[in-house]
Amino acid sequence: MTALLQCRNISKSYGGVHALQGVDLKIEPGRVHGLIGPNGAGKSTFIDVVSGRTRGSGTVILGDVDISSLPPDKRRRLGLSRSFQRTSIFPAMTVRSQLELAATWVDDDNTADLVDMFSLHAVLDEHAEEISYGQQRLVDLALALVGMPRVLLLDEPAAGLSAGDSHSLTDHLLEIARRWNVAVLLVEHDMDVIFKVCNVLTVLETGRLLIEGPPDAVRSDPKVIQAYFGSTA
Amino acid sequence: MGGQLRMSRSIRQSTRFPIGEIVGVIAVGLSGLLFAQLDMPLLQSLMAQALILSFLAFGIGYLIRMTGWVSFGHAGPFGLGAYGVALAFSGPGPAPEVMLLLIIPGVTLLYFLVGLVVSRLEGIGFAMLTLALGQGLFVAATKFRAVTGGSDGIAVSLPRRLFGLTTDLLQQPHGMLVFALSFLLIVYVFLRLFERSHLGRLTVAIRENEERARFLGYRTRALRAAVYGISCGIASIGGVLFGLYQGFVSPDVLTWGMSGSGLIMAILGGSSFLWGPIVGAIVFFFTREWLTENTDHWLAILGIALIVIMVLWPKGLSGGVERLLARLRTGSGPVPVELRRKAA
Repeated sequence: MTALLQCRNISKSYGGVHALQGVDLKIEPGRVHGLIGPNGAGKSTFIDVVSGRTRGSGTVILGDVDISSLPPDKRRRLGLSRSFQRTSIFPAMTVRSQLELAATWVDDDNTADLVDMFSLHAVLDEHAEEISYGQQRLVDLALALVGMPRVLLLDEPAAGLSAGDSHSLTDHLLEIARRWNVAVLLVEHDMDVIFKVCNVLTVLETGRLLIEGPPDAVRSDPKVIQAYFGSTA
Repeated sequence: MGGQLRMSRSIRQSTRFPIGEIVGVIAVGLSGLLFAQLDMPLLQSLMAQALILSFLAFGIGYLIRMTGWVSFGHAGPFGLGAYGVALAFSGPGPAPEVMLLLIIPGVTLLYFLVGLVVSRLEGIGFAMLTLALGQGLFVAATKFRAVTGGSDGIAVSLPRRLFGLTTDLLQQPHGMLVFALSFLLIVYVFLRLFERSHLGRLTVAIRENEERARFLGYRTRALRAAVYGISCGIASIGGVLFGLYQGFVSPDVLTWGMSGSGLIMAILGGSSFLWGPIVGAIVFFFTREWLTENTDHWLAILGIALIVIMVLWPKGLSGGVERLLARLRTGSGPVPVELRRKAA
C-alpha cells in the first residue's frame, strides 16, 4: 500500500538536547500506526514537528505534496489534522457552534455523522466547559475529524479517560481508520489501547527510532523490553 | 479530503431573529430623540459628553469582549480622531467632508497595521505596548507645535456647512446628543451583526483557543489585528465627535489618564453584554460630575464606589444584569460551572 504521509529524517533540538534525531516514518491510509516509547522519547515532539506546531528539520510529504515549510492552518487544509495531549476545545462556545465553525471551509460537512459517532446529541447546545471530561475529549476528537482529514495525528487521546470511555475510544479509532480510510498516527501510553487498535508500531527511545513492525513482534523484541523495563529478563 | 463512505450531513441551525434587541435599539433611539426635544440644555450637554466618551469605553470594551486584550492606549485613536477633525478644516486640501470621511477609516487601517505587530504579544506585554504607543502619540502632539499647536492645543475651524447641514447644530447639546446617539446605535448594530457572523464566531474561538483555531485551518493573526483596528476605529468616532462638539483639541485627549478613564468605564460596564461599556461610561460620567459638584473629595468617593461595585459584580454592571436576569428565569440565579460539573 502507498504511504499517505512520509516523514523523512525528522530532527528537533532544544538547545543542546536532541529531542528527535533523524526519525523516518510512513503512515498508510486505513491503518492505525502506533508511536510508543518511554517518557522523553520524543513522541509528542514528533507530532508537533509533523503538524507544524514546532519548527524542526526533515521532510514531511502528504500524498505527493511537500508540506515541510507550511504553517499549521495550511497543513490542516491539505488534510493533516491532529489532537493535543491536553483537551483543546473552545470552552465558552457550545458544542454545535464549534463544530459548525470547524466545518465552515470544508467541502463535505460531516458534523452530523461525527455527532452520531460520538453520541454528542445531548450536549450539542451545551457550552463545552459544562460537559464531562470524557465528552470534552470526544468533542476534541470530533473537531479534528471535521471535513474528514486524510491523516490524523493523535497525542494521547485516552489520557484521563475512564476504562469505559477508553474502551469506546478504541472502537472509534478503529471505525475512523477502517470506515473513513484515514491514516492515523497514535501516541499513547495505554498499552491496552495500543495493542487493540494498531496495525503497526514504531518505538522511539531518546529521540531515535528503535524498532518498527507488527505489534506482536515489537512486544516481544528484547530492545523494546530493555527500553521500557531496563532489563530483558 | 479523504473518506470513502461519507454521507455529508450538517448540524447547522438557523440563527434566531433577535427581535427583542431590535426593539431595544429602536426604543433607545426614540427616547434619545424625545430627550433632545426637551428644554434641558445642561442635562443634554452632559449626556452628549457622556455619549462621546462612551465611544472610547465601547472600543476598549469591545476589544476585551472579543479578544480578552486590555488596552491602555485607546486615548491614541480617540485623540487622532479629534486632531483629525482639527487638521481636516485647517488647511488646503480636499473638501472638508472628504477629509472628515477619511478620518475613521484611516485610523482603523492604521491601527489594523499596528495590530499586526502588537497582536504578537499577550497579557501585560500587550497592555504595556499599547500604553507606550499612546504615550508616544501624546509626546508627538506636544512636540510638533507647528501642526498640533503643542500643549496649547488647536482650535477647530468648523466650516459653516457640512454635508449640506449647518454645523451650528454640531456644537449645540441637543444636536450633538442626536448625532452621538445615532452613531452609537449604528456602531452597535454593526458590531452585533459582526458578532453573529462567521468571522465574529471565529474571533471568539480565537479568543478561547487560538492554537486550536489554527489547527482547524484558520489564519488567526489578521483577524485579531482587524478586531483591534475596529475597536480603535470606534474610539476614533468619539474623538471626531469630541473635536466637532468642543471646537478645540489639546494633548489632554491623548494622556494615559484618558485611556485609564476609558478602561475604568469599560470594566465598570462589563462585557457580558455588548452595551455594557456604554452604560459604564454614562454611569461613570454622571457620577463623576455629580460628585465634583458636591465634594472636594470626589476622587476618593468615586474610587471607593468603584471598588464596592466591582466586588459585588466582578463582571461589571452588565454582569450584574446578567445575574439578575438569570435569577428571574431560574428563581435562584446561575449555578457556577464548577458546581455544575461537581453535581454531574
